[in-house]
Amino acid sequence: MSEPIIQTRGLSKEFARDQFKVVALNGADLTVDKGEFVALMGPSGSGKSTLLHLIAAMDRPTSGDINVLGQNLRGLSESAIAKWRNAHIGFVFQSFNLLPVLTALENVELPLKLTKLSKSQRIEHARRALELVGLADRLDHTPRQLSGGQEQRVAIARAIVTDPDLLLADEPTGNLDAVSAREVLTLLGRLNREFGKTVVMVTHDPHAARAASKIRYLDKGALLPEGQQPEDWEVR
Amino acid sequence: MLQHFPLIWKNSVRNKRRSLLTIVSIAASLCLLAVLGVLYHVFFLADAAPEQAQRLIVRNKVSLTNPLPLSYREKIKQVPGVAEVMIYQWFGGTYIDPSNFFARAAIEPEKLLNVYSEYKVPDDQWKAFVADRSGCLLGRKTAERYNLKIGDRVPLIGDIFPVNLTFTVRAIYDAYRDNENLLFHFEYLNESMRTSGQIGRSDLVGTYVIRMTGPEHAASISRAIDDMFRNAPLPTKTETERAFEVSFLAFIGNVKLFMMVISAAITFTILLVAANTMAMSVRERLREVGVLKTLGFTQGGVLSILMGEAIVISLLGGGIGLGLAGLLCRGLSGLPSTFVDMTRFTLTPAVAAGCMAVALVIGVVSSFVPAWNASRRNILEALRVTD
Ligand SMILES: Nc1ncnc2c1ncn2[C@@H]1O[C@H](COP(=O)(O)OP(=O)(O)OP(=O)(O)O)[C@@H](O)[C@H]1O
Ligand SMILES: [Mg+2]
Repeated sequence: MSEPIIQTRGLSKEFARDQFKVVALNGADLTVDKGEFVALMGPSGSGKSTLLHLIAAMDRPTSGDINVLGQNLRGLSESAIAKWRNAHIGFVFQSFNLLPVLTALENVELPLKLTKLSKSQRIEHARRALELVGLADRLDHTPRQLSGGQEQRVAIARAIVTDPDLLLADEPTGNLDAVSAREVLTLLGRLNREFGKTVVMVTHDPHAARAASKIRYLDKGALLPEGQQPEDWEVR
Repeated sequence: MLQHFPLIWKNSVRNKRRSLLTIVSIAASLCLLAVLGVLYHVFFLADAAPEQAQRLIVRNKVSLTNPLPLSYREKIKQVPGVAEVMIYQWFGGTYIDPSNFFARAAIEPEKLLNVYSEYKVPDDQWKAFVADRSGCLLGRKTAERYNLKIGDRVPLIGDIFPVNLTFTVRAIYDAYRDNENLLFHFEYLNESMRTSGQIGRSDLVGTYVIRMTGPEHAASISRAIDDMFRNAPLPTKTETERAFEVSFLAFIGNVKLFMMVISAAITFTILLVAANTMAMSVRERLREVGVLKTLGFTQGGVLSILMGEAIVISLLGGGIGLGLAGLLCRGLSGLPSTFVDMTRFTLTPAVAAGCMAVALVIGVVSSFVPAWNASRRNILEALRVTD
């Protein structure tokens, strides 16, 4: 009954920094089933972001296989990947990354401009996404006129406006105060439970991780087996 | 591309001061370019007016200041295709103040309207002019500028010709072009030369104006006339009135080349300015390139958004520049048309289109390299850029 939505086998990523080779991810075998909410945790530099970027096809692995939503990402061209990401992935950044010249509504509409939807349909979808994140009264505000928590909710609206199956978030609460962070986590939880989105979230915050249904740990580029934590994790 | 226009537009005006400065400098350069284009068009490209295309000018081959004998007139008249030959003697001189500038020339009244069919004169005035040997015919524009009426006296102090002549305004002509001349009887001038003891200067003519039976004869008539006098003591040079006008410009050097060099320099300079601005603004957008790509924008999409911004700015500058040029041309077209027909000083669609094309090229060329490099950036690299 469980249907794998992300499946990686021996997934590795190396970076060449000056003359040195940095192994950012080392043979990760990850399976995420449809409807799961997985938190990725681990020390700084353990490869969490790298793994998330590979899942979003924002980067290509050095070796190993990666299959997301039934698509083998290694075989796709750059433009096919762009199209695929637009249709199937919603990505939320730590630093929101809204375009400062656009209003909340326009920011949310942006990914829809790559679809066949008409202008009025795009606006309708964007408006509904903003209502969903509780910002129906902020449509015409620019990012500068919003609080950090509101900005992140706009970013989440932008990530879900194309109705993707998979929501990826890299430390979405990292720049937020406790109250805003809780709002964002509640929102991600709702999207997971009520709207059936599969969510993979990188976080440093044990409170945040509690919103997830499952926590996976990384340590020095290795994805630890389910249930296992880095040795000195509790000490931190 | 079109659905990205709101984003492109908002990006273009994001840094208001910088965009404004760029737009203004492009506008200034394009205005200059447009005026040069109009000048070039008027000097070298514009077709002769239909009446003008009917006329040829015969002058001394050596230079305009060397005259031709009066006896050539009848010989020229015999050339096939020549409908009429009229003496046209530039007088020059000063009317009250040297800065009062308009053409003054001696002509043969009985032939004038046959040769210059675009001149319109009321019948009674025309008769009065023909009858009065010391009368003059004034172009409407000059008459209005100096507030001269029928019956007024116009004194001219000679320079090329060492005589002072006073005319009575007998007629005022209207013409859609070339309506600024003061024309008078050649006989009056010729006789004054004779009576003032300048016998050597009499019976000589600066130029002859020919009206052909049709403009298609221009080449054959010119050749026939110049061949006829090739071995005479005073050989001729025959050319169209239009070519004759343009030859006046030769005395300020190679105008054509000069204008082209200036235009090229302007375009190149503004290209550098625009390229610098675009490089700056693309650098500020690097992180957004990463964001757009994350949302699914392709390299081509990002490229068109970044270049679109430069194109919007340069087209805006171009449009404003053309508007200014239009105003400037309107001002210039009011200047005296003594040597060049200034009334033709209008921004033609061809010049306007050319300038907008230059603006487009400036937008494309100035932004292509930085936009291309930015659009090729790896997503993660672009996202790592901190503002
Ligand atoms: N472009 C790159 N070039 C070189 N090394 C890189 C690059 N990106 C990541 N790395 C290295 O790969 C390792 C994993 O990085 P990653 O960003 O995945 O860590 P992380 O777990 O997300 O850390 P953090 O919690 O600090 O965000 C680190 O040692 C990092 O320095
Ligand atoms: Mg990270």
